Amino acid sequence: MLSEKMKNAVTGARDSAADRGISASIHLHQENSHLMRIGNNSVSLNTSEELTRLDIEVISGKKKGTHTHLGEIDSAEKVFELVLKVAEKAENSSEMDYQPVLADITEDIDLSSQYDPSLESLDPSVKEQVYTGIIKSCGEKYNFSGSWSSGSTETFLATTASRKTARRILTDQQFTCVLKHPEKLWELADWQTGWKAEDVTAENTIREFKKLLPVYENTGGFKVEPGHYKVVFGPEAIGDLLPMAVWTGCAGRTWEMKMGWTADNQIGDTILHEKVTVLDDPTDPNVFSDPVSDSGAPTRVIPMIENGKLAAMLYDRNTASKYGKEATANAGCLTMKTGKGPEDFLEAVKELDRVLYIPAIHYMNLPNMSKGIFTGSSRFSAVIVEKGKIVSPIFSSRITDQFQTVFGKILAISSRAVSSNRSHTYGRRDPSAVSIPSWILVDDVKITDCADSF
Amino acid sequence: MFILADVQRAVTDNIQRLMNSGAQYCDGRWYQDDSNEQFVILDGNLEANDTTVESGLGVRVLYGGAWGFAATSRLGNIDICFDKAMANAVSASKLVKVRLDMGQMPGHRGEYTSPYTVDPIDVPLKEKIDFLKGVDDSLKEDWILRRMVRVQIQRMIIHFWSSEGTYTKRTLVNTFAHMTAMALDTDRQMQRRTKTLFCNSSGTRGWEMLVDPDLWSGYSGKVKDELKQILSAPELEYGKRSVILLPGQGHLQVHETIGHPLELDRILGYELSFAGGSFVNLDSFGKLKYGSEKLNVSSYGSIINSPGSFGFDDEGTPERDYLLIDRGILVNCLTSRAMISEANQRAGRDVFNESGGASRSTAFYRAPIDRMTNVNILPGEDGTLEDIIKGTEDGIVVDNPTSWSIGSNREHFHFGCEIAWEVKKGEITRVLRNPSYQGHTVEFYNNLTAVGDKSTWVVEQVENCGKGEPNQVMELGHGVPVVKFDDVITGERG
Repeated sequence: MLSEKMKNAVTGARDSAADRGISASIHLHQENSHLMRIGNNSVSLNTSEELTRLDIEVISGKKKGTHTHLGEIDSAEKVFELVLKVAEKAENSSEMDYQPVLADITEDIDLSSQYDPSLESLDPSVKEQVYTGIIKSCGEKYNFSGSWSSGSTETFLATTASRKTARRILTDQQFTCVLKHPEKLWELADWQTGWKAEDVTAENTIREFKKLLPVYENTGGFKVEPGHYKVVFGPEAIGDLLPMAVWTGCAGRTWEMKMGWTADNQIGDTILHEKVTVLDDPTDPNVFSDPVSDSGAPTRVIPMIENGKLAAMLYDRNTASKYGKEATANAGCLTMKTGKGPEDFLEAVKELDRVLYIPAIHYMNLPNMSKGIFTGSSRFSAVIVEKGKIVSPIFSSRITDQFQTVFGKILAISSRAVSSNRSHTYGRRDPSAVSIPSWILVDDVKITDCADSF
Repeated sequence: MFILADVQRAVTDNIQRLMNSGAQYCDGRWYQDDSNEQFVILDGNLEANDTTVESGLGVRVLYGGAWGFAATSRLGNIDICFDKAMANAVSASKLVKVRLDMGQMPGHRGEYTSPYTVDPIDVPLKEKIDFLKGVDDSLKEDWILRRMVRVQIQRMIIHFWSSEGTYTKRTLVNTFAHMTAMALDTDRQMQRRTKTLFCNSSGTRGWEMLVDPDLWSGYSGKVKDELKQILSAPELEYGKRSVILLPGQGHLQVHETIGHPLELDRILGYELSFAGGSFVNLDSFGKLKYGSEKLNVSSYGSIINSPGSFGFDDEGTPERDYLLIDRGILVNCLTSRAMISEANQRAGRDVFNESGGASRSTAFYRAPIDRMTNVNILPGEDGTLEDIIKGTEDGIVVDNPTSWSIGSNREHFHFGCEIAWEVKKGEITRVLRNPSYQGHTVEFYNNLTAVGDKSTWVVEQVENCGKGEPNQVMELGHGVPVVKFDDVITGERG
C-alpha cells in the first residue's frame, strides 16, 4: 500500500505548484503484479513486478506538457522538481485552439471495496497447484498452456484545481487455460476473472473442458463454407465485440471527428436491435469499478444505448472543451443488459437446424470503421450445434461483418450476466472488465473464409 | 542517485549469491535510462507532448529447469528483487515437464551504440515542435478533414550482466514518425493516406533522420494527392486477381505471416494462451516449401540503422545475420538460447546450431522472449515496380495497412489497405478505395511470382509489435522490395 510519505510527497508537490501558480495534475500509480505462464504443461515464466509511476500534467494557458516517471520517488521536493520540468515543457509547447482542462476532483474519494489482501499476496505455489490439478484431471496427454496474472493497483490523484484527492486500491486477476491436442491440434480454452482470491478455481476450468472433450475427441473438424449463418457468440467474443462497437460508435471524440459508424446518427436514432441496452456502469459487480472520471467528477451510471437507440456520447474533459460539450462522468465500465434467454445456449437453439457457436474471436480488427466492419477468426472451443446438440468442432473460420449485424440482428440474449476481463498489461497494470450476457444468438452472420485445420 | 559501479557490484554479487544457492543461470539488466518522447499533432493541436523516463532492474534466474523473473524500480531493493526472482524460479520448478537449459556460451564483454549524429532526446523542445508543426502545415488543405503527425523518439542505456561473466552495454536510439491526412469520400466514409518514416540500410537514426525530407517530411504532397484520388474512386470489387505489395504494405505482410510464425517460442507452443501458435513445426525446417523459389528471407540482414539492430540481445548474444527462407525452403527461425536447447532436445537432433540473437525485452520489468530483429525479403531480379506492373494482366497495387487480422497459427490472414491502383494489361488504369485481400499463408507465398530489385527495396520501421504476457511492445524493422502474388482473393464477399 502507498505510504503516507508517498501521498504527502504528491500533495506537498501539488501545494508547491499551486503556490507558484502552476496548474498541475499529479497521479501516482503503484502496482504489485505477479504472473505465471504455463506452456507445454510446465511453468514457463513466473514473474513479479513492483513498480511505482508518477504521471504529471501541466497546463499553461492553452499549452500543455505531460511526463511519466518510473524510478525512485521519495519526497515532495523530488516530485516538485519533476513538476517544474513539466511546467517548462508546457511553456515551450504550442498553443491549442481550445482550452485544455485539468481534472477537478469535486469530492474526496477513497475506494477499496474491490481489494483483497489475500489476492495481492497470493503465493505463486497456489497457481502452480491449480494448473497441476487441471492437467491431472483432464489428462497429461494433452498440451496445456495458460497465464494467470494477479496483483494490486493503487492510484492517488491530486490536482491544483482543488484540495481534494482521489485514491483507489483494488486487486484483480485474469486466468486463462488452453488445452490443445498435440496431434489433432484442436484447442479448448477457459477464462476466469475476479478481484477476490477465491474467484478462480481449478474446478471451474475442469468442468468447462470436460463438457467439450467428448465431441472434440470423437469428431473430426468441420470446414465451414463461406456464407451466412446463425451464430451464438460466447462471452469472450462479446467481450471483444462490444467495446469495439461502443468506442467506435459512442465515443464523443470519434463522433465529432466523423470517424465511426454512427457519424451520421443523432441522439435518439435507432442504431441497433431493440433488445440491446448498453450502459457505462461503475456499480456493476462484474466490472472493476473506477470511482473518479477523467474530469475529476465521481462516476455515475450513463446509458449509452437504450433499447437499440443511441442515448449518449461519452466526452472526456478535453474533447468536451474542444467541441463545447459537457464532460461526461464516465468510468469506462461497459455493461450490456441481459435478456430473457436460458442460461445455457444449447437450450436456446434446440429448435434450430444448425448454428455456429463461437465463444472467442481471435485477432479482431476494423477494416472500415465508417461502416462498422470488423474481421477476426474463430479459435478456441468453436463448434457446430444442431437441434441443441454439439455435433462437431469447426476449423479456424473468418468472420467479416458489421457491428450493426452482430448487435442488430439479435434473435435472443442470455439471462445470465458474466464478467469478461479486458485488462491489458502493455506498460502498466490497468484492470478493466465488461459485464455482458453469457451468449447472444445472431442471425445472418457472414463467414468469409475457413482454414483447412484448427 | 545510483552510479554504475554501485549497481554493478550489487548485481554481480547477487548473481554469485544465487549461483551459490543452486541456480543454473542468472542475469540482471539495469536500464540506467529509458527515455521516450512522444508528440501527436492532431488538426494542428499538440495533443501529446509527452515524455516517459524509466529506470530499474530486471533479474532472471534459471533454477531446476524453470525461469523466475522479478523487477523493481527501487534500486534500494536489489537484494529483495534477486530473492524474489529466485523464489519464483523455485516455485516454477515444481511444475516442469521439459527442463530448460541455456546451453554453453563463454562470457564476453561488448558495447553497442546505434548510429546517430544528433541524439533526438537532446534536441531543444521548441525546435522539435517547430519542425513538426511545419510538417503539419504542409498537410493543410480546405478539403482535408483530419491531419495527424505522430512522432516517437527513444534513447535507452542498458547494462547487462550474466552468471557466465558476460557484460554488455548498449545505447539504443530510435526515431519513428507518421503523417496522415483524412477526408470523407463520396459515400461519407473516412479515408486516409499515411507516410511513415523509413530508413535505408546505411544511414544514421538520430534527429537527422527525421528531418531528412527524402525519408519522410517531403512526402506530404504525395499523401494529399493520393488521398484526393481515393475520395472519388470506385470501391474494389470482390474477386481473384494479382496483388502487388508496395513496401508500406509488404512489410506488414512479412511481419505477420513470416516473422511471427517463425518465432521459436511460438513454434514450441509457449504463446498459445494469448498470441497463438504456428503452422510451422520442428519437422518443417529444411523441408517446408514456404514459398516459391523467388522467396529469400533473412533475419537482421546487416541493416545497421534499423530499430531491429541492437548489437546484443537481452541475454548477451551478438546479433546474427542469417537466412530464414532460402529459395522458398524454410531453413531457420528466430531463436534464443533456452528455446533452441529445448527444440533440439524435443527433436532428438540438432535442428538449430546457435542462438539467432533474438531474445528481446521491451523494458527492465519484462522478461525477454523470442522477438523479430529485422525480418527481410531479399531483393529479387524482376526489375522495377514499373517492370512488375508491365508483366501483370489483371491485378492491384496496394499500400499501407488499415487493418490486419491473422489466424491463430498464422495460417491465414486478412489485410485492409489505404489505397489500390488497378492494373489491367500491364498498365495502371485507376485508383480504387477500400481495398482488402486475404489468403492462406503457404499457398500465398507459393504464388509469389515477382520480386523487385534493389531499387524497390526499403527498410520499413515498426515501433508497436505486441507479444507476450505480460504484454511487450517491441521496435524492429523489415527490409522489403516490391512483391507480386497471383490468384489472391481481393475485396469483400457480398
